[in-house]
Order: sequence, then structure tokens, then C-alpha cells
Amino acid sequence: MTIKGAALRVAVAAGLSGPRRSSHRSSIRVPYWLLSPSLIPLTLIVFVPMAFALYISLTGLNQNSIGDWTHAPFVGLKHYVDGLDPRGPLAPSFYGSIKASVVFSVATTLFTLPIGVGAALLLNGQLRGRTFLRAVMLLPYIIPTFVNGILWRLVFMTSTGIADQILAALHLGSRDTFWLIGPRSLWALIVADVWASWPFIYLMALAALQTIPADVYDAARIDGATPPRIFRRITLPLIAPTLGLGIALSTINHFNNFALPYVMFGPTPPDEVNVLPLNIYVNSFITFNLGLGAAMSVVALVIMLTPAVIYLRAARIGDTD
Amino acid sequence: MADLFHGKLTRRRFLEVAGMGTAAAVAVPGFLEACAQSPSAPATGSPKPATLSLYIAKDTAHPQAQAQLMDMIKAQFAKENPGSSFTYDTYASAAEETTKLETSSAAQEGPDIFEFGSTLVPTAYATGSFEVFTNDMWNHIGGKGIFLPPQLTMSGPSPDKLIAVPVSGNPWAMVHNKAMFQAAGISKVPTTWSDFVDAAKAMTNGTDQWGTAMAPADGFDPWHKIWLFTTQLGGQLIDSTGKKGLLDSPESVEACAFWLDWMAKYKIAARQDAAFKGADEVRAFATGKIGMSVMAGPGGIVSYDNSPVAGQYEYTLGPTVPYGMTSLPAGGKPAQGFVSGQYYTLFRYSKNQELALNLLKVVVNPEIQYQYFKLRAQQPVVLDTFNKYPELKQGNWSPLYDAALKAYPTPFFSSWGPLEVEVGKAINKIASQIGISGSYSMSDLKSALTQVNQELQASLG
Repeated sequence: MTIKGAALRVAVAAGLSGPRRSSHRSSIRVPYWLLSPSLIPLTLIVFVPMAFALYISLTGLNQNSIGDWTHAPFVGLKHYVDGLDPRGPLAPSFYGSIKASVVFSVATTLFTLPIGVGAALLLNGQLRGRTFLRAVMLLPYIIPTFVNGILWRLVFMTSTGIADQILAALHLGSRDTFWLIGPRSLWALIVADVWASWPFIYLMALAALQTIPADVYDAARIDGATPPRIFRRITLPLIAPTLGLGIALSTINHFNNFALPYVMFGPTPPDEVNVLPLNIYVNSFITFNLGLGAAMSVVALVIMLTPAVIYLRAARIGDTD
Repeated sequence: MADLFHGKLTRRRFLEVAGMGTAAAVAVPGFLEACAQSPSAPATGSPKPATLSLYIAKDTAHPQAQAQLMDMIKAQFAKENPGSSFTYDTYASAAEETTKLETSSAAQEGPDIFEFGSTLVPTAYATGSFEVFTNDMWNHIGGKGIFLPPQLTMSGPSPDKLIAVPVSGNPWAMVHNKAMFQAAGISKVPTTWSDFVDAAKAMTNGTDQWGTAMAPADGFDPWHKIWLFTTQLGGQLIDSTGKKGLLDSPESVEACAFWLDWMAKYKIAARQDAAFKGADEVRAFATGKIGMSVMAGPGGIVSYDNSPVAGQYEYTLGPTVPYGMTSLPAGGKPAQGFVSGQYYTLFRYSKNQELALNLLKVVVNPEIQYQYFKLRAQQPVVLDTFNKYPELKQGNWSPLYDAALKAYPTPFFSSWGPLEVEVGKAINKIASQIGISGSYSMSDLKSALTQVNQELQASLG
């Protein structure tokens, strides 16, 4: 049902659908007034700051103008051109960060998916100590990100970290393998984030699994379906909408993850893990180039809208007529 | 509102939306401006009792000693200003420091006193959020003449535009392991970088003992070292107008190459150092794994005194003649460290500036300054303290005192912060290559420096 449709029905119910056009118009406004308690805070909390970010992205706000930021010089689209024009001075850093963020978020989501779904399938069945195990599974998710970052930094320290010790003991690598610098830093970040975030997919999958009636499985078994076939033809299709939401949210969360790369690699990270949020943070809060940081944030927002819109279109959320 | 966006876009509808946007764009900055307080210059009379707020750097090495020192300052302040006190909040990283500076400047609301490290003072000055000290204000706290002269060079862009009061120093010198020197048959502390490399080679066994260490993954070490070598070579990292980055100049390239060659060419530092931060280098020296550490501050003394190298180490002034040379080149400066330390500033929008000034007077009191040394192993910045307490110029503190007097100021440009980050990015990138492959190419180094210089230039405008 659309908002307009709802308005008409309210009008009809109120007996206001007669020939008087002005009464008809005022009755149409009723649903909008009813929306205002949520719309006003939403505007103040979400849309006004977004509008400010957009405005700041068009200014040269930096250390010289922050004390009087309402008069920061207007530079138009300069920051967007500097970052997005392939010949612009900031393009290598900006595109490098977009690439790092996309690779990191997609890879992390891909790794968390089977782990989360597998754990959910395991703990959805009858299992001794199931309640305890369900709680234990959430531990990585509830550990603060900063603690998680420090923990994994220690694990991946060259020579002294557990990762290098284990690799050396198993003769799989050198004790002096670098994980916190160079190309392997991406894998270090992915492993750390997968460990911390797989319970999110697990929770979503478990919630979806619990909505599937047992008699559906009983019927399938009576018809002779094997467990793999049951998973493929019954379980997966029935949890797919929830998993889709989980994948979309998970990808967005990984893309926006700032704390973990910052704690693990600091403000001058290797190129492979110089993700967009970290780049934005360094530009805004370390080098004081707030206008550029805001422009990068706007571009990040547009990028992040992509998986969100794809999911909403695929699930047809908000299209209930 | 929804109708405006979902309905058919007509001229009238467009004008409605555009009108609202224009009204907001005009009204919001005006409203915010109206909300701003109008600052007034502080007097130096008898202020009303109040509780001040301070935002200071956390002494992560001596947190209890810092609390003890602040209690002493508080007691003295309360004695001189009955009914007044202060509270303080601490920051543990440069990121917290800059974030607070930004938010307070933008909101024109924040602590009465901010503490900054020397290289952030130019940025703080650029925000216009801190009080420029008048002669009366300086006289109120004892006058400019009470301080070690070099410290005031980082207080402002010129002697009449100073915003920051020095409270402690962090001079840079070289520290070496006397036992390792003796074992390697080294009788003289190097004064040129050629001698330094030779001495380091003599102490290196290539496995668990190295002549020196480096910390290219640190947030600060890369620019410290590159500034040092570039200055000795007669170059600059940014031109004298502050508008042009010189990170890709021949001197900068040579400076970077020399430092990176410690790992790649001379093999006097371990390849594992590619992932080192400053604390890792201190640990390597404290455990006797390296013979020399360059640009070491007094902060290491407490660590070394509680380590296997206790009694075996000695601070001296570092080398000042570039590698392969016997004297400084034209334009080269005999720098072995830059002016470094902590500074207190008065927030321009504070309502308690007079009282805050009284607190600064307490902090630079020679006796309180001595407590910075005694409790926190930091170097005082007030001359009377050095005159009264001879131990501040004895033992390892003697070369550190010399280093403080001979320190060179870094350029007072607000763009120094971005410069630090850009130098770190280039060094980090090439050091990673060395860590992984053991070598790097000069073209890669030049390309990395050109790229970061372009990024720096974009932020310079």
C-alpha cells in the first residue's frame, strides 16, 4: 500500500471523499502529520548532518578556517575533482582506498557467510549444551573492536607473534613473515575481522532457521529427500531473504569498519589496508583537511548506497501494494 | 515534504525546494555565528575563584607520577588562589589531541588550557582559537627570559605572536651501549654518519645483534629522521613560504635513501625493523640487541635503568655530518635534533583566562619544574631550575641539556601535520619492500616521494 493510497482510504473512512476539493486535500495531509513524530527526529539526526557534510565538502575547511568554520572558503567541486579525476593529485590514494575497502568488505563477507551459516545449522539441531554453545558463539562479536585490534596485532607481530610461531613450527612459513606491513596485511585484517564478525551472520541465519516449521522437513524426509537436497531446496530458499539482508548489512559494516584497521595499522597503514574510513579519518582529523574528508565521505555514502539499493530492490522492501 | 520529492516536478515545486535550501544555507551559518561567544583579552588582576579545566597529554610511562605531579600543582595553585582548583582530562594519542583541537575550535567551547606537543603548536596557532600572549601576560608568569631560549621558538610564528608556554622539554640525542662499543673495539663516539655506519657494522653480527635499529612504521620516527638528514644536507621538507612541498627534492630523496639503506645496503639494522614502531626500538636497545639509537629522548632513561643495559649506556650528541662527507655541505646545518617538548596554551574562548594564567605561573615555577624531572624524568624548561639543581646538567642529562640548547626549530607552518603523515606513508611503503625482499629501487623511492609530495601540495592549496 502506498502512502497516497493510505491517505485516500483514511479520507474515505472519514467521509471526506465528497466533492469539496479543499477538504479532500487537507485529509490527504493527515498521514504526513502522523509521520511527523518519527520524521522530525530523523531529519535532525540524519538529514541535517548529511546536509552539513555535503556543504563542508564544497568548502576548503581546514586548520586555518575551523575557528570560524561558517566562513570557510567555498571551493566548489575541487575536492571531488582532486579525488575522482584519475589525473588528480589525490586520485591514487582515493581510488586505492576504494579498492581496499571493496576487496576487504566483500572478502570478509564471503568468508563469514559459510562460517555463520554452518554454525547456525549446527546449533539449530538437537545438541547437548546447545544453550551454552549459542552464548559462546557470540563472544567474538561482543569483544570491543579496539581490544580485538590489539589482540590480532599481537598475533601478527613479526617473529614474536603467534601466527609466525605456528607457521614456523609447521614448516609452512618463515618466522619472519610480515603481516602488519606489505601485501599480507590485507589477509591479517580479513582474518581479524572475520573472527570478530561471523557471529552476525550466525545470528541472522539462526533466527531464520527457527522460523522454518518442522513439518516441512518431515514432509521432505518422507518423500525421500537427502540432507544435502533438503538444505539446497528447502533450508536455503527459506532463509535466503534473511541471509540477503545479513549479507547487505555485513558488507556495509565491513566497508565502514574504521576502528579495526586503525588499531592494527595506525594512521599510516600499508596501501592494501588503507581503507576509505581510515583515509577519511586521516584527512579530516590528522591532516585537518576537513573539506576533503567530507567529500570522501559523500562518495563513500554513494558507494554504500549501492548494495543497500540492490538489496531493497531484490527484496522489494517498501513495495507492498 | 514527501510530496515535493515524489510528485511531478513542476517549476513551482522546484522553487519551493530551492527556496527552502537557500533559506537554510543563509540562515544556519548566521545563526551559528550569532551563537558564538565574543572573546576578550585576559587581564592579569585578581580573578574570581573557579575550577579550571585542562586537557593534557597522558604520561603513559609514568601515570602515577603524573597524577602525583598534578596533585602538587593543584595544591600550590589552591594556595596561591584560594577557592580555586582545576580538573584535567588526558589524551593518549596524537589523534585524540587533534580531534579535541578541532571540535573545540569549531564549537568555540572547550577546556581553559590545552597542552600540545611542539609540532602541533603551529596548527593550534592557525585555528585562531588560542590567546596570543601580551608582554603583560608573559611578565605575569615570570617573563620570556625565564625559559631555555630555543623552547620559545616553537611558541609562535614570531616573538610578538606567541601562544604557547613551554612546560617540559624533550631533547634528542644519541644513546649507545658502552659494553658493545668496547667489545667491538670502538673507542670514539661517531660524529659523522660515515663513522656511525662503520661503528654500527662493527657491532652487527647479522642475527641477534645489530649496530642500530629504525622504526619506519612509527607515526613520528620517519619524519624525525628525514628532517634531520635533510637539514644536515642543506635541504628543506617544505619551502620557506610554507606553500610548496619539497618531499621529492634531491636532499629529501638522499635523506630517505640513507635511512632506508641502514636495512637495505649497509645491513646495520635488521629487516624485521620494517614493522618497528618507536617503542620497539627502545625495547631493542634496552635488551642489548642494538648498539646505538639515534634521536633518542630522555623518555628512554627510565626504561634503560630498569633493563639489562642499566649502567652500560650513555647519551651523547648525535652525528651531524652527512654520509660520505667530512664536513657539512653548503647550506647544511649541524642539527642533531629539533626543538621538542610540551606546551600549555590558553583557550581563547575560556571564561577563566586570568585564573588560567595564574595556573601557568605555578606550572613554570622552578620548584614545580624540578618535579617534572624528579617524578616524570622529563627535562624542565626554566633556567632557574637548571641553576638550582646541578643534577639536571650531570651524567646522561648533560648531553641532553646541550641538545636542548642546540636544537633547531622546525618550520612554524600549520601544514607540518600533513607533512608528517605524507613522509610516513612514503617511508612505510619502501620499508615494507625492504622488509619483504631485502632491497628497494631508487625509482620506487622517487615515485613514492613524488606521489606524497603531490598529496601534500593538494592540502597546501
